[in-house]
Amino acid sequence: MFQVENLCKSYGEILAVGGISFQVRAGEIFGLLGPNGAGKTTTLSMLSGVLRPDSGRILFEGIDMFVDPIRVKRQLGVVPQEIALYEELSARENLAFWGALHGLKGARLRQAMDHILDRVGLAARSKDPVKNYSGGMKRRLNLALGLVHDPRVVLLDEPTVGIDPQARANILEVIRQVAESGTTVLYTTHYLEEAESLCHRIAIMDQGRILAEGTLDELKRQAGEEEIITIEGSFQVDAIEAGIRQGESLRLLSVEPGRAIISTGGSGEGAVKLLSQLFGTRIPMDRISIRPPSLNSLFLNLTGRELRD
Amino acid sequence: MMPTLLLMVRKDLTRKARAPLGLLLVLAFPIMFSAIIGLAFSTSETPRVYLLVENLDGGILGDALLSALGSEQMAQYFQVETVGEDGLERIRRGEGSALLRIPGGFTEDLVKGDPTTLQLIRNPAQGIMPEIAQQLTAVLADVLDSGSRVLRQPLDTLAPLLQKDAPDLDLATFSNITVAVYESLQGAGEFLFPPVIKISSVNLGQDAGLEDESPDTGFNVFQVFLFVFPGVSVYALFMVGDLAMRDILVEGEAGTLQRQIQGPVTPGMVLRAKAAFGASLAMISLLILSVIGGIAASEPVNVPAFLLLSLALVLAVVGTAAAIYGATGNVKRGSVVSSVLYLLLAFAGGSFMDVNALPGALRLVAPFSPFYWGTQGYRRLLEGGVSIADLLPSVAILGTTGMLLLLLGSVSLKRRMSRRGGL
Ligand SMILES: Nc1ncnc2c1ncn2[C@@H]1O[C@H](COP(=O)(O)OP(=O)(O)OP(=O)(O)O)[C@@H](O)[C@H]1O
Ligand SMILES: [Mg+2]
Repeated sequence: MFQVENLCKSYGEILAVGGISFQVRAGEIFGLLGPNGAGKTTTLSMLSGVLRPDSGRILFEGIDMFVDPIRVKRQLGVVPQEIALYEELSARENLAFWGALHGLKGARLRQAMDHILDRVGLAARSKDPVKNYSGGMKRRLNLALGLVHDPRVVLLDEPTVGIDPQARANILEVIRQVAESGTTVLYTTHYLEEAESLCHRIAIMDQGRILAEGTLDELKRQAGEEEIITIEGSFQVDAIEAGIRQGESLRLLSVEPGRAIISTGGSGEGAVKLLSQLFGTRIPMDRISIRPPSLNSLFLNLTGRELRD
Repeated sequence: MMPTLLLMVRKDLTRKARAPLGLLLVLAFPIMFSAIIGLAFSTSETPRVYLLVENLDGGILGDALLSALGSEQMAQYFQVETVGEDGLERIRRGEGSALLRIPGGFTEDLVKGDPTTLQLIRNPAQGIMPEIAQQLTAVLADVLDSGSRVLRQPLDTLAPLLQKDAPDLDLATFSNITVAVYESLQGAGEFLFPPVIKISSVNLGQDAGLEDESPDTGFNVFQVFLFVFPGVSVYALFMVGDLAMRDILVEGEAGTLQRQIQGPVTPGMVLRAKAAFGASLAMISLLILSVIGGIAASEPVNVPAFLLLSLALVLAVVGTAAAIYGATGNVKRGSVVSSVLYLLLAFAGGSFMDVNALPGALRLVAPFSPFYWGTQGYRRLLEGGVSIADLLPSVAILGTTGMLLLLLGSVSLKRRMSRRGGL
């Protein structure tokens, strides 16, 4: 559906997106997972046609986004990361405007509005001015505005940021329903669990690049059998570097005073090897934790940083 | 795509209708302003008010108020007698229309910026007279009040000098105060349209040269109103246009602009819609203002000429605002620039007073201000007996500058949008 080739975008000196390529297939939920500043929003802005890439191409069903933007944009629904609503207007009036902008009118528009208001659970308050809504309600309306015209593809930019678990569950449920009805979804998030539970395929993004891409299983396989061991204590960097013999099965991912993260080879041997090495040294340790392979360990393996920071 | 444009304009008008305060204030301004000036400067027969004043304040501002009430200009409305404690008793006996009490500490409070209350004790037996007294003192009190707010900084410098054991005023302090007064005046145009300055300068005892300007042949309220109204209305219309075009940046900050461009519309379409919204809002405002002007007018107005001039003015209004926000690219900066610029252009263009009353240098630059052409055009329309041909220079100048500025503004706004994917 979307074919993205070698997309680059800088803001002055800052390289926000540095040459990424991926494909979004019809009917799937494609996740763009990455920490703050990874370039997710920048990527989405280009996919939605408001930001011109410095280089690279975006094809939507073979049509170049920037050759015929209006034609592509007609098929899209976009839900921006920052809530963007008309505060003076009611939910209904907001929906009516965005629906009509996409060519809905009359009974079809009314039906579409009723349907989406019901889905996001705002039907009862739909005539109140938006400025009286709670944060979670605004989030849900923000989502609804991108869906009201029943687009073929929705681009969702962290639609669950900053809301309570219940509203989040509602939003995720709506997205699942939308996907089930055949709409293609591109979903960005920095929550691992969301990407894992929602997306069919995931691209892990960091510092403007895609580090890995695939289904959850493929990515987990890529993470390998390796376990991630974190040790904490009152030690210095060089003590750790001297204390651990890195080799085929042990790899120091990141180390700072008081905290080191090490990945082990598969089959559980690595952890045993590491621990026996560590106990031979006099490195003062307070805590050791061992984590099984996961998306997070893959991210750690790839970047040396945790996704949750 | 015409329907999209209409859709966007309707959306903006609905939003404005939901939060109309700013617009209403802008529209109320020319009406209030012209009415007050009309009342204050018309010399048709207004019955004089016999006012007793009890001054409990020992400071200079109490004296200033007293001397303002007793000044020649006010003599049209007031016959003032200063009284002592017996004032209330005399009102009761029916010896005056009203008693004005200047409270103790009036000067001190005003200088400190504390609230203070002028008390007007009315004589109910005298019908409308106390009412007039109240209206007029309210205007004066307003002037003093806004004066003290505008002159906050110089007053702060001045405050120690008003005390009993005050140090002598040296040159440095004096120049400090002068500079501060100057700066305050510069930043406070709203409070300081010329007639207000006239009254307040009388207050401060600097009444030189005022006689020349005070009308000595009879003007009625409507004549004065009609002279003042067009200029202030033109000013108000520019403010309306500003309010509307600013909205594109407001939407940029709210994210709704970007959201529209993510939909099936181009940045150019959003811009055109916003300009159309600005024009609609300006036309609605013009309609309201011209109904009021029409009621006050005594001569029949040339309607086609009026429409033509209005169209050109609306273009100028929208174009100027678009250019300002295109150049500044930011709501805050833009509105600061526009409020200063509009005041300057309005002053220079003779919107607040007769062009011939402007200082010589200003009179020369007046034609460079679009406010000049708008104000002159409407004044002439209201005087009656004007043909379309008479107004063509105004129409042509307003129309072309409007077009050019709109083009300029659109280009830079569009550039900003495509560079940043929003505003
Ligand atoms: N308008 C801008 N001007 C300058 N730099 C920008 C701008 N927008 C984004 N950036 C920079 O580009 C990089 C990528 O930002 P982007 O917003 O795309 O990240 P993100 O993955 O969406 O992050 P987040 O999870 O915080 O939303 C960051 O380093 C950011 O500072
Ligand atoms: Mg983002």
